Amino acid sequence: MTALRRLAARLRELVTRGRVERELHDEIRHHLDLLAEDYVRRGWSPEDARREARRAFGGVDQAVEAVRDRRGFRLVDTVRRDVREAVRSLVRTPAFTLAAVLTLAMGVGVNTAIFTLVDAVLVRPLPYPAPDRLVALWETLPAREAVQPGAPESGGPPARVAVAPANLADYQARVGDLATFAAWSQVGRNVIGPGGPERLTGEEVTAAYFDVLGIPPATGRTFRADEFVPGRDAVIVLGYGLWQRQFGGDAGVLGRSIELDGGPREIVGIMPRGFVAASALDGDVDFWIPAAYPPDILAGRGEHIVEVAGRLAPGVTLDAVRQRLATVPGDIAREDPRSAGLGVAVDVLQADQVRATAPLLVALLWAVGLILVTACANVAGLLVVRAGTRTREVAVRVALGASRGRVLLALATESAVLATLGTAAGLALGSWTTAALVAAAPPGLPRLDSVTFGGRTLAFAAVLAAVTTILVGLLPAWRSSGTHPSSVLRSSGRGVTGAWLRRTRSVLLAGEIALSLVLLVGAVLMARSLATLNAVDLGFDPHQVLAARVSLDRARYEDADRRLAFFEAAEAAVRRIPGVRDVAFGNRLPLRGNWTSGMELRGADGAGVQAIAGFQAVSPGYLATFRLPLRRGRWIADGDRARAAQVAVVNEAFARELLDGADPVGRQFRRTDASPWATIVGVVGDVRRGGRTTGIEPQVYVPAAQTAQYPLWLSDVGIRTDGDPRAVSAQVRDAIWSVDPRLPVTLVRTLDETLALGQAEREFQTWLFLVFAGLALALAVVGTYGVVAYAVSQKTAEIGLRMALGAGAARVLGWVLRQAAAPVATGAAAGLVAAWFLSRFVASLLFGIEATDAPSYGAAVAVVTGVAAAAGLLAGRRATRVDPASVLK
Amino acid sequence: MSPRDDRTDVLQGTLALMVLKTLDTLGPLHGYGIARRLEQVSGDAIRLNQGTIYPALVRLEQQGWIRAKWGASEHNRRAKFYALTAAGRRQLDAETERWSRVSDVVGRILDPGDAS
Repeated sequence: MTALRRLAARLRELVTRGRVERELHDEIRHHLDLLAEDYVRRGWSPEDARREARRAFGGVDQAVEAVRDRRGFRLVDTVRRDVREAVRSLVRTPAFTLAAVLTLAMGVGVNTAIFTLVDAVLVRPLPYPAPDRLVALWETLPAREAVQPGAPESGGPPARVAVAPANLADYQARVGDLATFAAWSQVGRNVIGPGGPERLTGEEVTAAYFDVLGIPPATGRTFRADEFVPGRDAVIVLGYGLWQRQFGGDAGVLGRSIELDGGPREIVGIMPRGFVAASALDGDVDFWIPAAYPPDILAGRGEHIVEVAGRLAPGVTLDAVRQRLATVPGDIAREDPRSAGLGVAVDVLQADQVRATAPLLVALLWAVGLILVTACANVAGLLVVRAGTRTREVAVRVALGASRGRVLLALATESAVLATLGTAAGLALGSWTTAALVAAAPPGLPRLDSVTFGGRTLAFAAVLAAVTTILVGLLPAWRSSGTHPSSVLRSSGRGVTGAWLRRTRSVLLAGEIALSLVLLVGAVLMARSLATLNAVDLGFDPHQVLAARVSLDRARYEDADRRLAFFEAAEAAVRRIPGVRDVAFGNRLPLRGNWTSGMELRGADGAGVQAIAGFQAVSPGYLATFRLPLRRGRWIADGDRARAAQVAVVNEAFARELLDGADPVGRQFRRTDASPWATIVGVVGDVRRGGRTTGIEPQVYVPAAQTAQYPLWLSDVGIRTDGDPRAVSAQVRDAIWSVDPRLPVTLVRTLDETLALGQAEREFQTWLFLVFAGLALALAVVGTYGVVAYAVSQKTAEIGLRMALGAGAARVLGWVLRQAAAPVATGAAAGLVAAWFLSRFVASLLFGIEATDAPSYGAAVAVVTGVAAAAGLLAGRRATRVDPASVLK
Repeated sequence: MSPRDDRTDVLQGTLALMVLKTLDTLGPLHGYGIARRLEQVSGDAIRLNQGTIYPALVRLEQQGWIRAKWGASEHNRRAKFYALTAAGRRQLDAETERWSRVSDVVGRILDPGDAS
């Protein structure tokens, strides 16, 4: 503490140096006055007394200098002089300075950008009080059997699923007061906004929701316990955004009502600005309503529909909660056999939220870290060469009595100036890169909106600058200061450091080659996995198809026949748009959600067996719109209506997996005991409903017109067009509004766009790695060029001699290139080994290829060595142009 | 970065001890007062350049053993007064103890007869 205070006092002295010096002069003048007065009292004349006083004092200047030394001012002066000198010498060599500063700027730039991202996404705490006590709770079910060998989803650990409210009650009861759990699920509701019908996103929350997150409303209240009962739940808490949009921020809205899906709800509270909803990772949340679960949900062990977060009581550990909960799933499974294999997982909320993105960000941190090291190695290489040319200067200084420390300080100052310039330029580059990253980042990267290029980034950059200074400067500085003046001054200034210089540059080059190889292997792995992914056949044709979602009002479309009538009318209206070739509707279209259901399948012998399959209710136009191949039997026809025989069409996987390859046509099934029996009339080709990374599952298509077969509301329209499907999107909306103008039309997207969106993250990762590998490769090229060019310049005489003795250009070139060959080969070998070890960090980002995929490694080696060879050739060409006559003269 | 000289270090250490002792005996003093006292007490056995006490004072201040404060001198002139701190007093005690032990040992070596 006192040491700290003393340090602060000394630093203050340095800052207030002018005043401190003035005071010292005052003090000394006072001293001299008193001394002189003393002499006067002893009878000296005033002039003599004054002279005698100065003599006794012993030199004012020496005293002042000694005090300055003592206070550390001298060091400051020295450093200031060194900085001035370093700047002057850097200005004298603009090419070197520019190259070094740009190289460092690149390294620092990508590092600050990625740091800013990582800090916002992984490090910065969640925006709730005591965020470390917030946990996420999930249920797990056994993984499905392998559907596609080699696909990442097959087998593996138990799959995380949402939580069943019925089970959550048991978890809360068992955990007691160790923790409080809250559940929510996202819901969509229609509202007529100022600009027409709008689809709002809200959360249906349990009573503890706001307490668990720890944020009270800005005005009004949240929900009372008695409002979580069906019939008494017509209340709503508005988000700040919705309050501003819909009500212009009017403080008098409390107590008034808002129409959601045609039903009024009383506004009881408004959340503060900036409140982040629990499900905000999936987009903005406009409102909150109480979760008044109907009895069947409250009793349904298999109704996995809510997400759960909890707040640990103070002092309670995660492990304690885990222990309490460990036996609950077993108890549930005993009561409900269908829950066999159920598990429960609790984790820290923040870690849980970023578990999908953490591997990518960690891999990126490695990548940019390696780039910074490469950049430093390159600048160190440049400095070593520079040190070589300055050997004489240093030797002269040492000979004139400068201490080793003094020379070291001067050289370190120069690298510090370089590092500072590089960091400043890197910060500019980094803030630009951060903005570009945020703009290019795929959706689903959590908390991107909180990415700011602020104080923490600056602090990080300061650390980088310090590290860079050390990495870049100390090696050449230490080397130069060790110079023996006599040997350098005796020789012509060349040769003494030559061998050492060559060795150092070779090591640096090997390092650069190794690092760029590591990054390139990562980039190639990612690119290949992207190519593998793009080659996966979806089973349907996604091109030239536009899809839109129409969310029907709950109040007006309670009746399934009305829903069907609406969509049939909408289909007819859309079909009239010029350029529309086929139209289909259904409750879920490919790439836009899924629905899985159990069913009872009647075997060949008539006995029923339980089976699980994906279900879709679709209109007859579905086959043509998505271009599914019909393999057997017939497709759903216009005549398959409610009163006709109940029919269905299945896919090939259905026959393969559920019927052991037997012909499904003619087989019968029913979804639940309450559903009618339906007969399978046809078989269509398999599709990857969820996109290229998902597997193929048994699938049942039922006619949308046979509403008794399915409970899920119809919602999606798909349109195949002759030309660009985007061109008709406005007309599609108008056509739908011509049937019912009060319905919001959302998620209007082509299937290609949806696919691209799903792949955006992968593509983003691949591009990042490619760019980083490119940067590293550029650095390696500069390094290789430098080594060969240096060798040529040092050995001009030798080359000339060899040429005079008859060596051809090819031999000379070969001899020069060998200077770089050994370090490149060593670097490549080291890079291969390092890549093999580091590739595990990107393993989770890969699709369809192993992290140790040999062709990828081979390709990366070929590129790196090829590029290095080209750089070497470019530099080595100069050797063949040496004129023997001029050299030997 | 200034070159080290062992002799100045010894002298500095001795000077520091004497300054501390002076301030302990006489209370707060300005630089001239300290210098004059050192000359008087030593009976001119120590003839120091009075200027050299200033770097010594800065060092003692940096160590936290003395504290400097501007005040008015006896002739009502602005002067910087130095006073012993608690840490300085502890240091003085420790140094005095060490000094007397060393001089005792040195004395016994130089005059063995006294030791028998």
